[in-house]
Amino acid sequence: MNRATAITLNVLALYGISLVLAVAFAAQLWLGELPCPLCMLQRLQFALLAVGPLLNIRFGPRPGHSALSLLAALAGAGFALRQVALHILPGDPGYGSALFGVHYYSWAVVAFTGAVALIGLMLLCERQFAASGPETGRISRFARLAIALVLLMTALNVLSTVLMCGFAACPDDPTSYRLL
Amino acid sequence: MRPTYQKETCMIFTGLFILVLATLAAAAAGLRRLALALFAVSLSVNLLTFLHHATDVLPLSF
Repeated sequence: MNRATAITLNVLALYGISLVLAVAFAAQLWLGELPCPLCMLQRLQFALLAVGPLLNIRFGPRPGHSALSLLAALAGAGFALRQVALHILPGDPGYGSALFGVHYYSWAVVAFTGAVALIGLMLLCERQFAASGPETGRISRFARLAIALVLLMTALNVLSTVLMCGFAACPDDPTSYRLL
Repeated sequence: MRPTYQKETCMIFTGLFILVLATLAAAAAGLRRLALALFAVSLSVNLLTFLHHATDVLPLSF
């Protein structure tokens, strides 16, 4: 895999992360699935997952950039597994609704584990690291849109958290927006 | 019935999202060192928040 292909895959990763954040946000807006604290921690890790691809696009692929995403994915998988364990007993209804029969935190385990696997596969391709240097000024429109999308989704989460929690304690089991 | 989680949580989540947004913005703006520093802070605070609030006993027995 050459450098250009690796950067394209990093751009696609940003679209994927934006999609995950958008699905969670859609569930929040249309299904009234307000995020619990553990859910918010998982969203935060999805957003942090984007740091590696962003740096790879801006500065060229480096193993250290992928390591950042790897750490974010591992932490996210840990948070999601904790939530799965909280509802693991038979008969437990779980938290919130399910997507295709699987709760969002279980999907999060799948997504974070998948991210770890994909990052590992990417790291196997060493040719992408052959020539490193600033990529500034050579970012395609396709990549700029991906960057804008991931920033927008994170900014919307900032707004949502402010509306939900205000500037006081966030509710453990949120059912409404405090500032609306 | 929706299960409830943990003890009282605090407003740190608003701050955490702002911190992560700042990290992403720094990376997007090409401020590599700042992005790396903010990433380290963000991940650390996320982990500390998790450890602080994950106090419910898991319903497991072996």
